[in-house]
Amino acid sequence: MTKALPVPGSPSDGAPVPAVEDTAQQVPPAGRSRRPRGGGAWSRYASALRTPKGMAAAVLLVLLVAVAVLAPVIFPGGYDQQARGALQGPSGGHWLGTDEFGRDILVRTVYGLRTDLSLILTAVPVSLVIGTLLGLSGYLSKPLGAVTQRILDIILGFPGLILGIMIVLVIGTGWLALFMAIVIAGLPGFGRMARGGLLSEQQREYVLAARVLGVKRSTIMVRHILPNVVDPLLVQASVFMVVAIFIEAGLSIVGLGINPPNPSLGAMLNVGARYVQSLPSYVIGPGAVLLLLALAFTLLSDALNQAATRR
Amino acid sequence: MNSSQNQTTTTARTGATAAAVATGTAGADPDLLLDVRGLRTQFRTHEGVVRAVNDVSFSVRPGQILGIVGESGSGKSVTARSILRMVRPPGEIAAGEVRYRGTDLLTLGEKEMRDLRGREIAMVFQDPQSALNPVMTVGDQIAEALVVHGTDKKAARERARELLGQVGIPDVERRLDDYPHQFSGGMRQRVVIAVALASKPSLLLADEPTTALDVTIQAQILRLLGQLRDELGIAVVMITHDMGVVAEMCDEVVVMYGGRVMERGPVDVIFNSPQLPYTADLLAAMPRLDDIAEGRSLPAIPGSPPDPANLPPGCPFQPRCRMAVDICAQQVPDLLPRAEPGHSAACHVTQHGERIPPLVTEAASARVRSGEARPLLQITDLRVDVNNDSGGLFRRPDPVYAVDGVSLTVSSGETLGLVGESGCGKSTLARTIVGINQPASGTIQVGDQVVGGKSGGDAVRRTVQYVFQDPYASLNPRRTIRQSLDEALAVRGVPTRERDAEARALLARVGLADRHLDRYPQAFSGGQRQRVGIARALAADPKLLVLDEPVSALDVSIQAQIINLLESLRDELDLGYLFIAHDLSVVRHLSDRVVVMYLGAFVEMGDAEAVYNSPQHPYTAALLASSPIPDTAERNRERIVLGGDLPSPKNPPSGCRFRTRCPIGPLVHADRTICIEQPPPLVPTGTGQLAACHFAGELSRAGAPA
Repeated sequence: MTKALPVPGSPSDGAPVPAVEDTAQQVPPAGRSRRPRGGGAWSRYASALRTPKGMAAAVLLVLLVAVAVLAPVIFPGGYDQQARGALQGPSGGHWLGTDEFGRDILVRTVYGLRTDLSLILTAVPVSLVIGTLLGLSGYLSKPLGAVTQRILDIILGFPGLILGIMIVLVIGTGWLALFMAIVIAGLPGFGRMARGGLLSEQQREYVLAARVLGVKRSTIMVRHILPNVVDPLLVQASVFMVVAIFIEAGLSIVGLGINPPNPSLGAMLNVGARYVQSLPSYVIGPGAVLLLLALAFTLLSDALNQAATRR
Repeated sequence: MNSSQNQTTTTARTGATAAAVATGTAGADPDLLLDVRGLRTQFRTHEGVVRAVNDVSFSVRPGQILGIVGESGSGKSVTARSILRMVRPPGEIAAGEVRYRGTDLLTLGEKEMRDLRGREIAMVFQDPQSALNPVMTVGDQIAEALVVHGTDKKAARERARELLGQVGIPDVERRLDDYPHQFSGGMRQRVVIAVALASKPSLLLADEPTTALDVTIQAQILRLLGQLRDELGIAVVMITHDMGVVAEMCDEVVVMYGGRVMERGPVDVIFNSPQLPYTADLLAAMPRLDDIAEGRSLPAIPGSPPDPANLPPGCPFQPRCRMAVDICAQQVPDLLPRAEPGHSAACHVTQHGERIPPLVTEAASARVRSGEARPLLQITDLRVDVNNDSGGLFRRPDPVYAVDGVSLTVSSGETLGLVGESGCGKSTLARTIVGINQPASGTIQVGDQVVGGKSGGDAVRRTVQYVFQDPYASLNPRRTIRQSLDEALAVRGVPTRERDAEARALLARVGLADRHLDRYPQAFSGGQRQRVGIARALAADPKLLVLDEPVSALDVSIQAQIINLLESLRDELDLGYLFIAHDLSVVRHLSDRVVVMYLGAFVEMGDAEAVYNSPQHPYTAALLASSPIPDTAERNRERIVLGGDLPSPKNPPSGCRFRTRCPIGPLVHADRTICIEQPPPLVPTGTGQLAACHFAGELSRAGAPA
């Protein structure tokens, strides 16, 4: 008979005590800061960006994306332009020096960032959507859900690198192979998380209440289950962005990434590692950008997580 | 006892001032075990300082049981935690003193305090599940409490054995090395009490020790606490919301409301001549076994308990008080002594001798009975297997019949009360009726349509709706009240443009206002949410409501409001109710007929009058006897305290399901082998109801008022 939740707002219980009832309306300004109103999912995500962490993540991401998008404007020469000397140290003309073919490392780093962002910003959302749908498939029929989970378990059984190598064997190296590797590697995480959410939401009393009323199954899914499952999935997507960056880098380091002469951060680290003693800036440049990217997404997922669980 | 009561009142008036601290030692009473004065605990939040405990004073003598009673948000639990200095930030103890045997605990160092906790003052928590460590055996957990205070391991284990025996755990030798999950809820609470008793404390703080337990188990634990006091002379501070528990157990009572002590005194004075309108009304509003409001609605207190973050000015109870005058809203009343020795109350009105008139109850609305009652719901031989979807891909699980062959009928305008303890299958039965669970065998007939499989679902939904127990979980926190109601109206086929008017009408019907429509559930109190839940069920225009413990999650002062609402809805709309509860007193007021359920089967069924006045099944008799009665005159009545726990429905006992706990069965009379061999059928008895007992009527309600 005790209640776990403190009840903000109206202190009266609907019975005729008008004098107190309206004190509730004076509370909201304060109440809102503590407990975001239920419906505004977007406003809650927006509130995540207003925290210091979220703000830092947003600024960093906007900056990185802007640089990547504007690369052809900033460096109209493209990433293939060769200068006279190969493996030159940093200088006024080439801030990070030149690579083994005399190409500017800074330019290639920026274009590499462009490749990486184009990969993860498409592959992770695709993985999120497919994984969520697979996870929720148990809503259609119980056996289907069970079978899907076993398939996801099998995917989970393969280390990311082995998975990538298998995909490369089938479709060859290149952007598409990396894209597929990231999508598939993400499925088990999203799928299991969505299923966990589905199973707990299905037992919620408000879902049962809708069932008892005779609300259509599809409506129950869209209205009551999905909105409550989405929060952790978005946080997971943000975490997985970082993982995706390292999948790209990992596959590129073993030579299964982007086809040369196209630059990617991972491919550059792969080659640069050979010259790490003579030309440290070859790895420092792409490495630093990689870290900034990972930092941005880590901060973002932290901020989203705090906003989603603060209820 | 009387001599020291006078001394209690002299210390009572000391305020939370520096002066009080200075003079405190001089005025200390050596007889007092615990003396709390002017205690104030506050929480710093974003909205400012919330005073959860405000100027609280009381005292406990050795061997005394003090009840601190209050509703949610009254500050009773924070008071207990403050005594042990276990208030976590942002909470802090801002003022006052807590004298234990003359020493102010608030001035002790952290190490001394830690030494005192457990050794001198021990605490028993509400939920035995989370109070025990699941990866340690109970023996080790009790021993740990001793080793911490310097006993050697061997002696500690010996003492653990002794303690488990003391709290009534059978077969101690074997159970010492069991893990908490191997114990039932009631047994776990005994273990928690054993841990608390380990170092022979002089004071036990029990925070709602029986709230999570069933009535028959509650009776066992209360009896145990009483025995401990008698045998070991331990003083107990019992924190509870249940006036019935207070009346049964306590010597002195402290009534808290809005963070303040509002009334304090010996238990019989508080119950027989309360000087605070809140206490008087709360006692009148409690659902009772001997319902006195025949043909009238229950006396109810309007409004709901205040939010501690948003207390009204003046007397915290003033907005809900029917006797309030101007001064009540301006000035906080002082706790002043009253005529009876040891009794004090904080009320501006009664302090000048004004008497509290009895709560007026309205005549219940006339019942519309459209001709003769039509049967709305007929259930025949229903069995429900709750284990059918727990298996994997390749494994078929053993069936577990949570409901095992029950039959019942509910007619329009009628309330059938269904009573049973947790795990007896009452919720499973209710959920099967509305199609959440699937029946394994038997039929459910709604109106004249048999519901079978998936086809008949819509017919059921049009006529049967469900009201959930927990008003916090049954509304989607992301949807406004209007959205929740619209959903239900849409299913009924109400056109979009008529829904607004329809939703307003529904809210008005359940006693809420239009302006509540666009708020989210978080903005409502528990009672208001339950009203919304009822409105949503009504939106489908049902003929029958299945009410699954609709008031048991609510504060006592709110329960009567909801019961009255349900009563008037039934009478105005000619609804049929299946009202489920774990406690016989709650269903008493509304029910025309009552069914008692035990371990998946009905043990007694009949007119409410007959069942309450002359229970024929020993289980019904025990349930009636176990319900705490909020009347001190009843405390010496003869009680039937059932031993043991509810067996698992996975493996029900052969023959009569109740025989493992039955006070007249083969446990006591070895010659009654029929109980082991044959399940008793539900057959008519001499007093007009049905009972499933081979020896029906042998044990009637002992010592109960007529």
